[in-house]
Amino acid sequence: MSMFNDRIFGVLMIVLAVAYGWGASQFPEPFGGAEAVGPETFPYLLAVVLGLSSLYMVVRPDPDNAWPWSRTGVELIIALVVLVLYAGLLQPLGFILSTLLAVGTLCWRMGARPGKAYLVGGISGVAVYLIFNFALDLPLPLGVLSFLEVG
Amino acid sequence: METLGYLIDGFGVALAPHNLMFALLGAFLGTLIGALPGLGPANGVAILIPLAFTLGLKPETALIMLTAVYAGAMYGGRISSILLNIPGDEPAMMTCLDGYPMAQKGKAAEALAISAVASFMGSLIATVGLILLAPVLADFALTFGPAEYFALFLLAFATLGGITGKNPMKTVVAACIGLMIATIGIDNTGVQRYTFGTLELFEGVDFIIAIVGLFAISELLFFIEDRVGKGQKLIKVNKLKLSWADIKGIMPSSIRGGILGFIAGVLPGAGASLGSFIGYTLEKKVVGKKGYFGEGDPRGVAGPEAGNNGASSGALVPMLTLGVPGSGTTAVLLALLISLNITPGPLMFTQNADIVWGVIAALLIGNFLLLVLNIPLVGIFVKLLSVPPMYLLPIVTMVAFVGIYSISNTTFDLYFMVAFGVGGYVLRKLEIPLVPVILGLLLGPEMEKNLRHAMDISDGDWTILWDSGLAIGLWLFAGIGLILPYIVGPILRKRMAVKTAHTTPGD
Repeated sequence: MSMFNDRIFGVLMIVLAVAYGWGASQFPEPFGGAEAVGPETFPYLLAVVLGLSSLYMVVRPDPDNAWPWSRTGVELIIALVVLVLYAGLLQPLGFILSTLLAVGTLCWRMGARPGKAYLVGGISGVAVYLIFNFALDLPLPLGVLSFLEVG
Repeated sequence: METLGYLIDGFGVALAPHNLMFALLGAFLGTLIGALPGLGPANGVAILIPLAFTLGLKPETALIMLTAVYAGAMYGGRISSILLNIPGDEPAMMTCLDGYPMAQKGKAAEALAISAVASFMGSLIATVGLILLAPVLADFALTFGPAEYFALFLLAFATLGGITGKNPMKTVVAACIGLMIATIGIDNTGVQRYTFGTLELFEGVDFIIAIVGLFAISELLFFIEDRVGKGQKLIKVNKLKLSWADIKGIMPSSIRGGILGFIAGVLPGAGASLGSFIGYTLEKKVVGKKGYFGEGDPRGVAGPEAGNNGASSGALVPMLTLGVPGSGTTAVLLALLISLNITPGPLMFTQNADIVWGVIAALLIGNFLLLVLNIPLVGIFVKLLSVPPMYLLPIVTMVAFVGIYSISNTTFDLYFMVAFGVGGYVLRKLEIPLVPVILGLLLGPEMEKNLRHAMDISDGDWTILWDSGLAIGLWLFAGIGLILPYIVGPILRKRMAVKTAHTTPGD
């Protein structure tokens, strides 16, 4: 059983702790002069504690959990791309269309039939849009569908 | 007697029509969240927080609704334990042991009803305990100085993993990560820390975005990895045949379970899992040879279920009185309090008495609502169990997006949430717990503030942190909390595993 995960993560965290501690040493002195506890004191403490506990992870790692390579890994990356695109397209494309695409694609990639998946995406998009806009009075962007806007 | 007066005022708040309505809504949503696969209570409450905000609910209404969600999720969790033999969350594990065999024998409806009654009893006992204990503890906490608070926060982190936790060092790593994220932003001397000049980071990281990302998005990624998109087969629930004698038969078990659960919930480091485990073990000891535990004994359902619910109400005691949550879901509730600009802790009992007692009264009312909701409506919740995750999780993700987006209407927050989701996924893969990260985010500012106050008082002398007897005691407990899992953890975990091994598939 390999134990690389914890070791690699531990090393990364030690690097983070050092960088974080170094960052704290670069803080400008606060207005009104230094006090017993400045802005850098608490970060110093954290850097030391994180460094020591990460070192423990490197020295005594737990057995690894397997990472999903191959196909499942690809699915995960697809899902991530969908999430990032969803965030990016929410405003320009509008809530309904971007939800149709994002929820539809996620359902499909998780195993639903494409037709049914995008149907679910479309219905949920329209339903949530209507609830937010009319029942809760919280406008969501319509994007390219803005010609439908009433009033 | 003072307490009684406050409680009556609390009922005045909780019984206001719109508060009652939101309590009912919360109870319903909570049961739904608990029952649905892949939506733990912490996750569910987290997703609903942004919505409670954007609706512009008043603090007491928002808190009443989410407390009802919290209580409801505990009720809902048992449904999948009994019908599918899949615990909704860890504390529901023990309910599987006798609940599932009961369902297999065609007594699913009885098992569900019994567990609802036991949940009710457990919560009721614990809420009464909360009413009695909380004011006393709050009074005591008023004597805490900044040094004691600093030590108390350390204690909270140290015991968060629980004595059954696997690797306490990973809890420490997780807590540090959370505390570090909390230091981002402009601190109270006006110095920018770790903002890299990014305008969006000046005010720090919004912990609601972090919580929703860590829980909801990472959950989606896990489901995709496990490829469990297909739903569960629908289980037939028989017609309910329950007599008063049956209910009377489980009463002693429920009461014992409720009291034990409450104690486990209040104590740092014990938690609901241990509460239901002790509840079950005690039941077996008390009933002895006359029982048929493991083969569908109703008392084996009632004991742990009452313990589980008792513990979850008990966990509210440290959260409300000290501002120190002992579990993931109470941490999320604390996030709500902080975002509503209410400082949790002993002062809340004097400054925001109407809110505290309103919530406590709502907890009592919510329990009655839940009991009433759960017996006739169980059919609906059972149907929902068969919703395949491949539809459910994308929709939950969408709700998370809408909620976060509607707080500030910016895309930046959404990217941030996705980033936290990926981070949460990696941490969970490494078996680094997420709750300490969240607690670090929440308690970071308070912890630093108390450290500064303590040092100001002592004029830079670090020994003030362990100067009083109380502070030393807290440090000691924190140390024990970190060391004990190495000693008793493996033994306890083995016992719990042996108990559940023959019914629960896998881990």
